[in-house]
Formats: sequence, structure tokens, C-alpha cells
Amino acid sequence: MRLAGVRRDLRLVARQVYYEQLAFWRNPFGAIFTIGFSVIFLLLLASSASARLRQIGDIRAVQYYVPGFAAYGVMSACFNTLAVNLVGRRETGLLKRLRLSPLPTWALLAGIFCNLILISALQVALLLMIGHFAYGALLPRNVGAFVLALAAGVVCFSALGVAVSSLLPNQEAAGPIIGIVYFVLLFLSGLWFYLPPRSGLARVADYFPVRHFLLAVQAPFEFQAKVSPWSFGDLAALLVWGAAATAVALRRFRWEPRHH
Amino acid sequence: MDAVVVEGLAKRYGSLQAVRGVSFRVRRGEVFALLGPNGAGKTTTVEILEGFRERDGGRVEVLGQDPRSRERAFRARLGIVLQELAVEPMLTVREAVARNAGYYPNPRPVDEVIELVGLRDKAGTRVKLLSGGQQRRLDVALGIVGRPELLFLDEPTTGFDPSARRDAWELVRSLSDGGTTIILTTHYMDEAEALADRVAVIASGAIVAEGPPASLGGRDVGEARIRFRLPPGSPAPELRGVAVRVEDGLVEVATDEEVAVLHELTGWSLEHHVELVGLTVERLTLEDVYLRLTATAPEVEASR
Repeated sequence: MRLAGVRRDLRLVARQVYYEQLAFWRNPFGAIFTIGFSVIFLLLLASSASARLRQIGDIRAVQYYVPGFAAYGVMSACFNTLAVNLVGRRETGLLKRLRLSPLPTWALLAGIFCNLILISALQVALLLMIGHFAYGALLPRNVGAFVLALAAGVVCFSALGVAVSSLLPNQEAAGPIIGIVYFVLLFLSGLWFYLPPRSGLARVADYFPVRHFLLAVQAPFEFQAKVSPWSFGDLAALLVWGAAATAVALRRFRWEPRHH
Repeated sequence: MDAVVVEGLAKRYGSLQAVRGVSFRVRRGEVFALLGPNGAGKTTTVEILEGFRERDGGRVEVLGQDPRSRERAFRARLGIVLQELAVEPMLTVREAVARNAGYYPNPRPVDEVIELVGLRDKAGTRVKLLSGGQQRRLDVALGIVGRPELLFLDEPTTGFDPSARRDAWELVRSLSDGGTTIILTTHYMDEAEALADRVAVIASGAIVAEGPPASLGGRDVGEARIRFRLPPGSPAPELRGVAVRVEDGLVEVATDEEVAVLHELTGWSLEHHVELVGLTVERLTLEDVYLRLTATAPEVEASR
């Protein structure tokens, strides 16, 4: 009896994921902004002659960019795309419609998050393969630490995506506001260039989650022998941000359009 | 047993008392219409019944349960057709209906529902490419796919052309014949008159009249209006004890004793050889009653 209920619930979530995937892939803008950008950035940066020869810190530029853009891909899907998408769904009444249907809230959320995990995993796999086969970048030495770092990023940035969506008034504002905040943080956090630890910029960036995520995803590649693949300090920072974001989301989340 | 019992329902938004002591019952199998101006509290009342909104006071029972529990099995017995709520734009009509069908334990077959609302030709079309009227049909499809025992219809024919409205009415009647209880909100008095077994008029958060549409506000026994046109140049009739209003040759007589007045009028017509062009005798229309009932109530800010 209970087993049948579990099986029914799993089927419900699987169906939600299926329809989330359909909607995602049929929206060319969403798919390009989310998946295309990380791949294009990596290709552009890695293809320039300087990136092949140049060192960032102690390592080859390509080796620096692969984990960076893997992290970027996860953040784009879980934070940027999710936040814009949720504001859109709320303001057009999609969320209210689902709230009125018998679909349980947990199943709706499970569908959304499983969809994000799928998209994130696909991007990470793509970037690792391109980096490895096209530019000879090394794969993570410690897969467990790599997966854990990515999982922490998914949790933290999904929570942030939901929290930010609950603070934004409408679709028109959502895209630009989220885009600016996101890219400024990415820039500050050393996605495109190496940020020496304890530099002034790094100290500022350390207050935000993006740099911690980049560092946590880079660590398992073990560029430097003295660096542990488990970057617990950074993972803890991600969890703190995730917890804070969850608290905001629980307080502020709304099912209905604001204009009502 | 009643499908819906509402007693002393109250809801406040900040300083605005949106619903103040609303009480009504809806019997099983009945079509019940809630009429009222925008902001009168109908949407709030309906949303509380649907379990979407919390109430501040009063007792509510929907299909024998308190909607506040939002139990999944309970919500699967409701169908809700709301306007201005989007459907996932990238899905096709069939996908959208199939997805929602999966939320219910015993859904109607997807293609049957699509056929029922007249969207068969659009089954493979993406939702974002549907016209406004087609989207409303899809709304209806999503509302009935779960075989609801109780169906909420929020202005189901707004923006429909006359033939689409007739189709929608036929659908509502056939659902009602099938035993579905229906709660309808509408701005169209003819719609309430055509579909509803009983109507309640809500104004400023309270119910000001309730009853079958044919007798609402005493319109079946109250005064009647006699209307006709006079040929150009004809004098207006003189009637004893009744006010006659003439405007651009259109004559209107309001009276409680329409038989006596008609007798006198037709006598005058034959005697003076004046035709009474387009003679009609009408009780107050539902709209007349509605406007009277809601005119006294001050307009309330949109309360959603």
C-alpha cells in the first residue's frame, strides 16, 4: 500500500520533470542562455592562442576555465534561469494555477529542481568533455569532492534563485536586475581572470557565494599539490548562503501575480 | 447533503474588510451563480472555497471538508476554471491537458476532453499560439479533466463570440446534467439566467439578495414595464393614475397592474386608430434587479 503510494509519487515527479524538460528545450532563448553560454565562453577563451600557453596562477588557462565554467553552468541554470523563470510563472498566473490543482507543492518543487539538476549535469559533462578532448584539460582527480561541490552549488544557488524571484516585482525587471547582479559577481569572483587570494577584490568577493563556489569546484582538480580537493570552508559558506536564501524564500514566496 | 456550506465568512486585507459575514449553501448538482461588481468580494469568497486563500472567520465546508486543509484527495475532487492564468506556453494543447490529467486519480481521457471543448483541430498546437477564445477553452478543458464533483467557473465566457458562448453554455448544462455541482461567477446577467438554478448577489463583501434568477429581488411579482412606439405625429395616450414617459416616440409605462393598464391602452389605440408599434410587457430584467441591488453599495477597491 505504502509502496504503491511511493511509486505513484515517483511517477508524478518523473512526469513533472518530463514536462519541465519539454518546456525548457522548446524555449530557444532559455536553452541558449543557460547551456549555450557556458560552452561558448569556454570555446572562445580556450581557443585563443594565449589561453593555450598562458598560465593562470600556477596552471594552464584552459585548466582554470573548465571548472570555472562548469560552476558557471550550474549557477546559470539554478540561479539565473530559475529566478527569471519563477518570476515569469508567478506573474503570468502559472504558479497560481498549479497551486489550485491537486499537484502537491513538494512534487512541483521536486520537478523543478530535478530539471535543474539534469540541465546542470548536462552542462558539466559537456564542458568536461570539451575541455578534456579538445584542449587536453585534466578531469577532476577527486570525483567525490567534485560532485559534492556541484551539489552544494545546486542547493545554494537554487535557494538563491527562489529567494531573489520572490523579491522581484515583475518580469520586465527580473531579467536585467538578475543579469547585472550575476555578471558583476562573476566578474568580481574571478571567473574570467585569476584572483589572488587575500587581494582586495578577493576579500570583497569572499562575502558572496560565487567565489566560494568557484573555489570549491576548482579544488577537486588539484592543480596544486598542497591544495586539498575538499574545500570545506567554501562549502560551508555555500550552505550558509543557501540557508539564508531559504529563510527569505519561505517568508516571501508568493503564488499570485503582484498586480492582483 | 449540501456541496458547499458557508456561514459568516469573513476576510480582511489590511484595513479593507473584503468579505463581511457571507453565508450561503449550494446543493449537490446545482448550478449556483455569484454575481457582483468587481471588488465586491466574489473572487475572495471563491478562492477561500477553493482552498487557495485563508479565511479570517466563519465556517466553510466544501464537499464535506474544510478547504483550509488543502488535502490532495480533496483538491482532486474540485475543478477550477479561472481566467487570466497562463498555461505553460511551450507545451501543446494535448500535452498541457495530459500533464494536468496526471494530477487526478480518475481523469477523463485527454482526447475526449479536447473534443468536448472544441479544440480537436488545435490539439497539436502550442499553447502560446492559441487565440484568446481558444485559451479560454483550454482553461475549461483543464478544469474538467479530473472529473470534478464541484466545478468553479470564473467568468467562463468573457470574450467569447455569441456562438462560442452558446457552446460553452451547452457544455455547462451537460456537465450539470451529469451531476457536477457548479459555482459560476459572471458579469453577464443572461448567462446567470440561462445557467443558474440559484443566484446570489454580493456587494461590498455581503450578500444582498439570493434566489432563483426568475424571482430574484421580487422581480416576478414587482412592477412591469409596458413599452411601445408611437407613429410620428401621434399624441401620447392619457392613462388614469399612471405615469407615462415619452422619449423620441418611445413610450414607457411602469405599473403594478399591467392587465388593467393594457386594457385601457389597447382601447385607446383602437379608438384613436393609433398603432402601438412593437408593444412589449416586461417584468424587471435580472439586470435591472442587479443594478438596483448593487447601486446602493459603495464601490470597493479591487480586493484581490
